[in-house]
Amino acid sequence: MATTLGTVVGLVIGSIPGLTFSMALALMLPFTFGMQPVPAIAMLLGVFVGGMTGGSVSAILLGIPGTPSAAATVFDGYPMALQGKAGQALGAAVMASAFGGLFSLLVMILLLEHVAAVAIKFGPAEIFALVLFGLSTICGLAQESMVRGLVAGVIGLMLMIVGLDELDGVARLTFGTVQLQQGVNLLVAMIGLFAVPQVISAFIDHGRAAPAKMPENVRAQFPSMKDLRDRLWLMVRCAGIGTGIGAIPGTGGPIAAFLAYDHARRFSGSPQNFGKGELSGVVAPETANNAVTGGTMIPLLSLGIPGDPATAVILGGLLIHGLHPGPMLFRTHLGTIYALYIAIVLAYVVILIVQLWGIRLFVRVLQVPPHLLAVCIIVLCVLGSYAIRNSVFDVYLMGIMGLIGYLFQRIRIPIAPVVLGLVLGETLEQQYRTALILSEGSHSIFFESGVALVFFALTALTVGLQVWSASRRRAAVQA
Amino acid sequence: MQFDRLDRWLGPCLMLLAVTWLWLAYTYIPGARSETEAGPRAFPVLLGFVLLGLGAIVTVSAFLAPREARAEKKLPAVMRREVFIVAGTFGLLMLYGFLLERAGFVISTPLMIVLTMRVLLRGMSWILTAALAAGTTLCCWLLFAVLLEAPLPRGSWRWLFF
Repeated sequence: MATTLGTVVGLVIGSIPGLTFSMALALMLPFTFGMQPVPAIAMLLGVFVGGMTGGSVSAILLGIPGTPSAAATVFDGYPMALQGKAGQALGAAVMASAFGGLFSLLVMILLLEHVAAVAIKFGPAEIFALVLFGLSTICGLAQESMVRGLVAGVIGLMLMIVGLDELDGVARLTFGTVQLQQGVNLLVAMIGLFAVPQVISAFIDHGRAAPAKMPENVRAQFPSMKDLRDRLWLMVRCAGIGTGIGAIPGTGGPIAAFLAYDHARRFSGSPQNFGKGELSGVVAPETANNAVTGGTMIPLLSLGIPGDPATAVILGGLLIHGLHPGPMLFRTHLGTIYALYIAIVLAYVVILIVQLWGIRLFVRVLQVPPHLLAVCIIVLCVLGSYAIRNSVFDVYLMGIMGLIGYLFQRIRIPIAPVVLGLVLGETLEQQYRTALILSEGSHSIFFESGVALVFFALTALTVGLQVWSASRRRAAVQA
Repeated sequence: MQFDRLDRWLGPCLMLLAVTWLWLAYTYIPGARSETEAGPRAFPVLLGFVLLGLGAIVTVSAFLAPREARAEKKLPAVMRREVFIVAGTFGLLMLYGFLLERAGFVISTPLMIVLTMRVLLRGMSWILTAALAAGTTLCCWLLFAVLLEAPLPRGSWRWLFF
């Protein structure tokens, strides 16, 4: 039930251009408080998987991707809709999504325990290096400017500082405010940062954009066996691309989808058809962006490293429900992990049913003016923030975070690194300080461990690659 | 406004934020108890210096950016309507929080929706406004109070009289 509800919400929100499923995840978190951990996390996974798939609906029907991951689907999905083949494109997209998602789930099941078995031997120095590597994904999430991404990450870490220091029991920058002793609540911050800027944008756009034209009598068609057979090997390759990309923190669905699209075009017998309504141009990105879901779960569940904003919210959800992702999770909550596998499979079953037979629901949803949805979302933001601790202080805090989020969006400081800093900062600081206590103040502890050195090298490599690609982009602009 | 011109403000602002943060950290957070450990102040101070460095980078890059590159990076102009909507949304959120505690969920929620529809989204019909206010309030009550059994604020009017 929880998975079904989460999946439908994810599909609906994902299909609406401008509303991200990270926002949907943040808004759904308060609803999970009264639930047991398994249905709660299953619901969040449903939103995640559904959101990733739902983006293809508006990409095909309107030519506007519902999520950034569906941007590559527009290239051939929308031309197919213009040619009257919207049903075929939608059917192929949903089948490819399910294939990609289930393929990555299989890889995730095969790899997770092995990665966790290695990670269980990590001490504070190794965990510090690992979390530092996780934070280096800020460079990947920084979008336009790495410096701006780092600024956002540092501000996230600064927000994490506020509250009681767990090691010494000292109140840091609370200024005597009792409500701040527990720190900036992660969920309140996420609701404010993800949802409020989108609400403001919807209000600003009200009356500006003309309503989108929708094809009439749309019905998703199950792809023919020949279509599926002809593209099976392509789907396997794209699922591999998506899973691999997803497992690298800081990458995510859009990169996987574009890589898969480019791969499909280059290895196609008829590359000239791409961009004009080629079915493989829909199948490849949709397989890859959904394969990312399983890929991102590998570092998240085995190491506690979120790869993108959505998995950062899921990590927040896991922590709220007392599940600490990392190697110990496989010792203490193995049953929960297996239940989550089943939840993902179930989410794809729901996606297949809803998208193949309930496509008219999406057509209706896409016709609802975004500013009216935004009014409902703002009420949910306030009530969701209030419900966390039954405190109006959290509502005020959410409003302030929302304002910060919008201002950041306006001056092009990315929001995802702020959340990453908030989520990972506490572990980073605690492990650093614990390692120093163990080594009696000597920093050599970080360089005596081979594993820590590997993670430091990976961090340097990630940052170096981003600096290199940014300088190449700059050079291209100046040329 | 241009990107580089924005950075000329952003960089010093970040540096000012970092200096303020460092002052707060040194003033209000106690240091380490012994030389062999990193106390509760170490990490905040480190972050302050990192932000100071990043602010300096933003400032220097903004002043050193080539003229051609500057022209490419134009930011959309801030409009009066945008400022009104941002300030209005923030003000309404604060007002909603204030009223939620005092007037309760049942009164503050429809009031908030009516204000949003009539003040921020001008031109909305009264029928649509009333329908959305009633429908959203009812759905939220069903969702939070009935389904999730989460206590919604009932409000207290004591503040008005005492």
